[in-house]
Amino acid sequence: MIGVIARRDIHGALVTPLPWILFTGGQVVLSWIFLNVVDQFTGLGVEERSASLSLELTLNLFGFAAIVQMLAAPLLAMRMLSGEFRDGSFALTAAAPIGVGSILMGKFLALAVLLTPLALLPLFNLALLLGGAELDLGQIAAATFGLWLVALLFGAIGLYASSLTTQPGAAVLLAFALLLTLSVIGRVDALHDPTQTGLSLFGWLSWNEHLLWFLFGAVRASDLVYLMGLTGLFLALAHRRLANRFLQ
Amino acid sequence: MDTLARVTSLSRRFGHYQALQGLALELRQGEVLGLLGPNGAGKTTCLRLLSGTLAPSAGRIEILGIDLARRPVAAKRHLGYLPERPPLFDELKVDEYLHHCARLRRIPTRARAAALTRAKGLCGLETVGRTLIAKLSKGYRQRLGLAQAILHEPRILILDEPTDGLDPVQIREVRTLIRDLARTSGIILSSHILSEVQAICDRVLVLHRGRMLFQDRFERTRPTQVWRVRLAPIMTRQALDQIHTLERLYCVEAAVALGEDRYRLLLTPPATSTDLARQALTAGLELRELTPEPHDLERVFFDLIGAGGMGSAR
Repeated sequence: MIGVIARRDIHGALVTPLPWILFTGGQVVLSWIFLNVVDQFTGLGVEERSASLSLELTLNLFGFAAIVQMLAAPLLAMRMLSGEFRDGSFALTAAAPIGVGSILMGKFLALAVLLTPLALLPLFNLALLLGGAELDLGQIAAATFGLWLVALLFGAIGLYASSLTTQPGAAVLLAFALLLTLSVIGRVDALHDPTQTGLSLFGWLSWNEHLLWFLFGAVRASDLVYLMGLTGLFLALAHRRLANRFLQ
Repeated sequence: MDTLARVTSLSRRFGHYQALQGLALELRQGEVLGLLGPNGAGKTTCLRLLSGTLAPSAGRIEILGIDLARRPVAAKRHLGYLPERPPLFDELKVDEYLHHCARLRRIPTRARAAALTRAKGLCGLETVGRTLIAKLSKGYRQRLGLAQAILHEPRILILDEPTDGLDPVQIREVRTLIRDLARTSGIILSSHILSEVQAICDRVLVLHRGRMLFQDRFERTRPTQVWRVRLAPIMTRQALDQIHTLERLYCVEAAVALGEDRYRLLLTPPATSTDLARQALTAGLELRELTPEPHDLERVFFDLIGAGGMGSAR
């Protein structure tokens, strides 16, 4: 039944212009960044190159792709629950012989399928360099994996925000607020003690600190636990909201 | 008859507002039960509770013996539900939507095409299969909502104002459809239109401010004992004689004058209209009209909710 829910949501999203605009817009900007990085790198002498091409590309391309995901996930998630609450179509799913967990996992699967092409966009751009430059494929694979996990986290946050309100616009704003909080929370320590260099609790809560290690090519257990744990937490919160909806 | 749904002491509270209180009902196979009441009476809340889309504050709902609160997935397999607003996806085409509903209702792949054809045929949707739902008129949207509810041939059908937004021809078709569907299932519908409930339902349940005020079964087969007659006009002073003549007829238990030449008569069981006509003519009364008095649900309704008496109801 998870597949039935996911299938409808994917189909419903693909017949609207939103995912295509996000995909095309993301590709235009990423290709510009890609060409810019390659152009700057080739213009430097060997002794001036402080970082490898792989590192330059992963930091710039994947870093920006994460920002695109941050915009895309709440926009795609808003219709999945909030939009259905508003137009009354959620009653169809709610009255069907299907559990709340399956409904939520179906929505999450649909969101993951819609966000995956966006997570693969940097990889498609880098494929142009295959055969022309020596790239660290392991690092690129780690960066792609990290970006995908971050996209899933954003999707879970987007779904949770979508479950909170019957106004899709408010759901998007809520998701942005949550994502921005998780983006800047690491700076709290820097404001308090600018000399601090170690990773504090607030730094650990920030998603960009964890993505950075993936971009360096390191897949660390603590980063995996953070991304998957937080994804699970927001899915659990969304599940609770949906279950409570039957009580409201 | 088999009991399809049994509701006991059902209550629902929204904060401080008591939307439904102590409702008890049973639905049997082949029965159409009408929930009647003014706006805010608790009809939609009751149907949402029965469909499993809202949890009760207290009470128990059993669908074919399955507790809806404890085993919602198993119970919902037997339910078809048309909410107040048909649950449609505007971006899909009619066939795509119905295929999705068939998958949601776990109709096997090989049976899906036949189920779709049947539901579309019953609801008059054959010509709009490839139309985008966003482009459908209100009547067609209502019909599509009904089609998704009957797609899996549920044992219990829950319809929230099923004829809302339909034109008179469509209303008649939907009423006929509901009576046809009732042969194999039990149907609960809500309406605030008295004549509709009277036309479709076997039993009526009047709700007001969340409480059940009245429950009655319409006897379709038993002939009515209350008749209206119109006699030839006569002088006013002779009207008293006329009513006395009517009262003296063997088959008449009581007579009430409604106008100059019109009377309402209560017949003595087992007398029929034939006996009345024969005896009236024998007594020398010139009978012009003889019509059965309709079941007076309207009077009962207004008496119960206190919104007017017999005068205003008529």
